[in-house]
Amino acid sequence: MTSNKVETALEMLNKQLNQPLTAALEVCARCGICAEACHYYVAEPKPENIPAARAESMRQVYRSEHDFLSRIFPAWTGAERLSEEKIAQWAETAFMNCTLCYRCTVNCPMGLDTPLLMSALRAIATATGNAPEMLEMLADAAIEKGKDPEVFLEYFRGSIADMEKELRELTGIPVASIPLQRKGAKKLYVALSGAHTILPVAAIFETVGEDWTLSIYEASNYGIFLGDASRAQTIARRIVDEAKSLGVEEIVISECGHAYYVMRWLAPNWFGDEFTFRVRSIVEVLAEYVEAGRLTLDASANPEPITYHDSCNLGRKGGVLEESRIVLNAVTTNYRELTPNREEAYCCGGGAGLVALPEAYDIRMMAGKPKADQVKHSGAQVVVAACENCRLQLGDLNEHYGLGVGVTALADLVVKAMRLPGNRAAEDHLLTVNASEASEVAIYEV
Amino acid sequence: MSFSVASQILAALAIIFTVFAFGQRLQTFSRLSRPVDQAKPKGSLQTGVLYAYTLGMAPWSKESTRRHAIAYMRGVAFHAGIFLGLLLLIASPWLGGVPQVVRTLLGIGMALGALFGFAGLVLRFVEPNLKALSTPDDYFAVSIVSLFLASEALWLFLPQAQVFFYLVSAAMLVYAPLGKIRHCIYFAYSRLFYGRFIGSRAVLPHSQQGAR
Repeated sequence: MTSNKVETALEMLNKQLNQPLTAALEVCARCGICAEACHYYVAEPKPENIPAARAESMRQVYRSEHDFLSRIFPAWTGAERLSEEKIAQWAETAFMNCTLCYRCTVNCPMGLDTPLLMSALRAIATATGNAPEMLEMLADAAIEKGKDPEVFLEYFRGSIADMEKELRELTGIPVASIPLQRKGAKKLYVALSGAHTILPVAAIFETVGEDWTLSIYEASNYGIFLGDASRAQTIARRIVDEAKSLGVEEIVISECGHAYYVMRWLAPNWFGDEFTFRVRSIVEVLAEYVEAGRLTLDASANPEPITYHDSCNLGRKGGVLEESRIVLNAVTTNYRELTPNREEAYCCGGGAGLVALPEAYDIRMMAGKPKADQVKHSGAQVVVAACENCRLQLGDLNEHYGLGVGVTALADLVVKAMRLPGNRAAEDHLLTVNASEASEVAIYEV
Repeated sequence: MSFSVASQILAALAIIFTVFAFGQRLQTFSRLSRPVDQAKPKGSLQTGVLYAYTLGMAPWSKESTRRHAIAYMRGVAFHAGIFLGLLLLIASPWLGGVPQVVRTLLGIGMALGALFGFAGLVLRFVEPNLKALSTPDDYFAVSIVSLFLASEALWLFLPQAQVFFYLVSAAMLVYAPLGKIRHCIYFAYSRLFYGRFIGSRAVLPHSQQGAR
């Protein structure tokens, strides 16, 4: 007898079966060449950590439902009927054992999109009540907060007013401000929770005389980690509506991989009408400033050996690869690459929401080992990451593996290199994450 | 009716069945929705797709194939042998007048293809990861295709082996749409989707990274 959960799961599976998903289910030749592409496998080389094996569980059910030979002779093709246990196993696989980093796809001779399969499994797990509670909570909290912004706006304005004082001290510009939801501004900057993603960028914008305004919403979108299109769209919609109502020319997303990925590459497909504004990462904007000579930078302000971690959502999945290097080469004197890097970079092990899950700590420390080894081999004293989740994970890896490095955002390095009058104060805001700070930030975001 | 003619008819029917079955699959596939990406591309979709089908397949283009260059090239040679083998099968009724030297060269090619196929089969038995990933379908698929290439090589060397060659070909062709061999028809789509992804985002080829 089929349970309700199984029925719902099969319904979700069939609903999601479009061409890309079907191709991903059918094309795998089980050659296993994807094994070392996965940071889980590199950290723990066992067959279940091979991307092809991870997705096989989904293929087994797909075959049992959609393949003639599998229906009459399931043992021949390894087909299996769906059960509640299997759904729970899918949830574990999709949420805990894959960070949707796309590295296996880049390394697959077929170009097989295993992250697409894992996202489909996440959607099924969420629909059947098997998603991690914390991710559901974070997504729902963001949705609730967005329903009536007036409730928190008063408090937010107060925080901004405090931040503006610091901004004036830092920049030495007496009229420097953090304009909130200003109509007609060119750029709408969407930050994350916490001053550390607002103040450095505000200092840069105000120094170059940018025509900008700050969004009242947070960029992060936990709906996407759940594979829940409805929640992801609800969270993204409010930023899109805000941008439209303010008439901005572009949305600039804070240093956050998944927020950029959602807004730049997914959201334009969600709301039926073409965006009247463009979407960029702050990293791209900073690179533009550097190339246009709009920033006066002193690279000697950052003399330590510095390396850069490519966030998967920004880099391999988002195409922001060289912009970060343009900035880094302008603001540092001792920059070195991790090996491998760019589209071949290893995931930090904390992506796709894992860093927000307390129960995932052990697994992400394990999965982050290749990244920790890379950092160690680079000899860097500072690791820059243009993604908040990556920075939190790198901070934890730093602690766990005793790397002895500082972890910081790109904008922080830029502010240092700008040699602003109040730079010492700015340095206090640098996000040099350690494990305790990481958990504080995570809690604050709730 | 001689065995030779009967086997030829059987092979011809198998080809018709395979083409029909693959056609059906492709028709079903084409009825599925294909998401249209409305995000403004950063790079060129066409460049990405071209790369995915060409340089992106080169052994030096990705870490996995650099690391497993020999295994990858074995696979490429095996698949190249299969495509040539299928072309020769279709052309086989008209190959009677081909000089023996050409038949021998083609036969060597097919034999190498078979050898690469059987090597893959051995790997599936001995390499722990491959063994863990494999189903009976995998073993059978590699075996029947390798046997097809071996029988073709035998026929090219020894025309008397024609009946055997056609019977093996018919078995392989009938199995193709049913089991793992059918991944071949999805390959082009998978690379297409991959190419569009990396192209629109200007991730690859690297030359696109100048795009803003």
